[in-house]
Amino acid sequence: MKESNFVSAVVYVRQCQDTVGPFLTRLHAALSENFQKFELICVNDASTDGSVQAVREFAEHSEGAMVSILNMSYPQGLEASMNAGVDLAIGDFVFEFDGTEMDYEPRLVMEVYRTALTGFDIVSATPNGRARLTSRLFYRVFNRYANIQYQLETERFRVLSRRAINRVHAMSRTIPYRKALYANCGLKMERLRYDPVGGGGRPRAEGGRSRLATDALVLFTNVAYRLALWLAVVMMALTLIVTGYTVVIYLSGSPVEGWTTTMLFLGFGFFGMFAILTLVLKYLSLLVELTFRRQRYVFESIEKISK
Amino acid sequence: MERWDKIIIGAGLYGLYAALFAGRRGERVLVLEGEDAPFRRATYINQARVHMGYHYPRSYSTAIKSAGYFDRFNRDFGFCVHSAFDQVYATSAAFSWTDGTQFRSFCRAAGIRCDPVPESRYFNPGMCDGAFLTQEYTYDAHILRDWFLEQLKECSRVTLRWSCPVTGLSREDRVYRVTAGEGEQFESDFVLNATYASTNQIIRQALGQEEAFGIKYELCEIILCTVDKPLADTGITVMDGPFFSIMPFGKTGLHSLTSVTFTPHMASFDSLPRFPCQERSGGHCSPERLGSCDTCPARPETAWSYMSSLARKYLRPEFGFHYQGSLFSMKPILKASEIDDSRPTVIRVHTRQPALVSVLSGKINTVYDLDGVLKGEF
Repeated sequence: MKESNFVSAVVYVRQCQDTVGPFLTRLHAALSENFQKFELICVNDASTDGSVQAVREFAEHSEGAMVSILNMSYPQGLEASMNAGVDLAIGDFVFEFDGTEMDYEPRLVMEVYRTALTGFDIVSATPNGRARLTSRLFYRVFNRYANIQYQLETERFRVLSRRAINRVHAMSRTIPYRKALYANCGLKMERLRYDPVGGGGRPRAEGGRSRLATDALVLFTNVAYRLALWLAVVMMALTLIVTGYTVVIYLSGSPVEGWTTTMLFLGFGFFGMFAILTLVLKYLSLLVELTFRRQRYVFESIEKISK
Repeated sequence: MERWDKIIIGAGLYGLYAALFAGRRGERVLVLEGEDAPFRRATYINQARVHMGYHYPRSYSTAIKSAGYFDRFNRDFGFCVHSAFDQVYATSAAFSWTDGTQFRSFCRAAGIRCDPVPESRYFNPGMCDGAFLTQEYTYDAHILRDWFLEQLKECSRVTLRWSCPVTGLSREDRVYRVTAGEGEQFESDFVLNATYASTNQIIRQALGQEEAFGIKYELCEIILCTVDKPLADTGITVMDGPFFSIMPFGKTGLHSLTSVTFTPHMASFDSLPRFPCQERSGGHCSPERLGSCDTCPARPETAWSYMSSLARKYLRPEFGFHYQGSLFSMKPILKASEIDDSRPTVIRVHTRQPALVSVLSGKINTVYDLDGVLKGEF
């Protein structure tokens, strides 16, 4: 008995001509075995290798596959591309595959889906084992300081209910970092862990993620705020010390010394002011981006391949 | 050999309109239809929209023209028009070629009604960036058909022949000779080719490939739905991109559901409609003689699950709708109109004496464009 729910699978495709073909074949096999109807959406983030050809070849050779290729105009990274793909998806449930390396058995896809049916709006798959150092560091800082419901971790793919997608759209106009918003949307989340299989190793690092990490930390955690607060406290302390020192000099009756102290004080004061201003500016720039950037992504075309 | 003042091939709206127009002028008219009744294909199997022009925000000329004929059509054929519902047009927040602001300024320029309503009344959060109440109606093809048949009864010199497909068309000096049905022959110095999707098949018999229209063919599915109460008196069109429309289907009490991506099942870019399903049709259909897709044994499987998922993604849950059935028909699309989205009504006068005129139009209310040629003004 196949599932009657309509599902969409959104796959991020960027410079992966060798892996995308086998990936789609395995994914398609797993989905067509279990679902009456589904669609595959390949978001081509301006790949310059043979990735798109590989997708087309797959689409032409697989029976009954409803494949769309969403071609981004220029490389816009994982987050914007996947947002575009999810916007195009029409399924009751939407799978997000952040890459085409499959270091898990295809049946994990169904396990994740079935877990969602038991009452979780968002279910993700996380590989056991140690992630990259920078990733570990990021998640540690993020989870420690972010005021959200669930802890973030490295994920290979996830499934979202339509309800979760609607909720996230209602909460925020732009989605700078999907995982954080999903974890923050107030719906139930679950995580399945698996032991990676095959010699594929961990997916290669992607450029531009460090900027995303900074933005995510500033947006979703209070790290920056705490830093500013800490600076402010230090400055207050300095101000107090300098004031005390000035008083002492004044009492000892040496005005030239007092003038020097004032200069010092002004110096420190301005230093602190600028430090805070820098942080305020960072906040402001992000707010501006969140509020006023109208187009979240720029796409070139949508190809629908079906027979 | 029978001589006629006019021979009209195809009993869709354009064919019967022409027959009535000429019949009322006292002309002796013969209508030849391959199906067993009029209005069996595209006139019936479409969204049944009486266009006001909203559909063409990127083709101002198409919009203006539709708006111009809108009032006239409602005056002449008001009896078959269903107008008592809210027709909502919306622009999708993602993937649309037009946004809410652009749509408003387009409507203002075209002088057509466009009153903003909150998107949240109809759509899930974040899905649309503009929603507008518009003035657009739907016609009931069966009521319109019966009216035409009634009116044509009064024209004693008009003869209607069903199940009489045209098998040959040739030019004989000052007349065209039409072979139809069981090899019967008819002659006239004016032949109107109003066969829509079969238009090239007719043209080629008389004039060869050069005169054929540059068209592509799409096998389209219209889904008929029953709807829940909140949707009963509402039509919703999310436009200009890979979206959908669900709106009343004439006065049938049903809604039609269509989508830009899933309504066309297959396409053929040949001059004649060439589809893989024709082999499986058991002689029902071929590139030379198009059968009705709706009654075809090789009719495609419905795309209901795709179209309904797309519509449900946008619509709030209370606007429920349920599958009732599907209608299939072949749609020819002028290749020139792909980019700018225009859907011109093309009337091509191939020859003058004798006259062979082809009409190709995807819209019901531009039928008045025929008046000129029917009066002999060409």
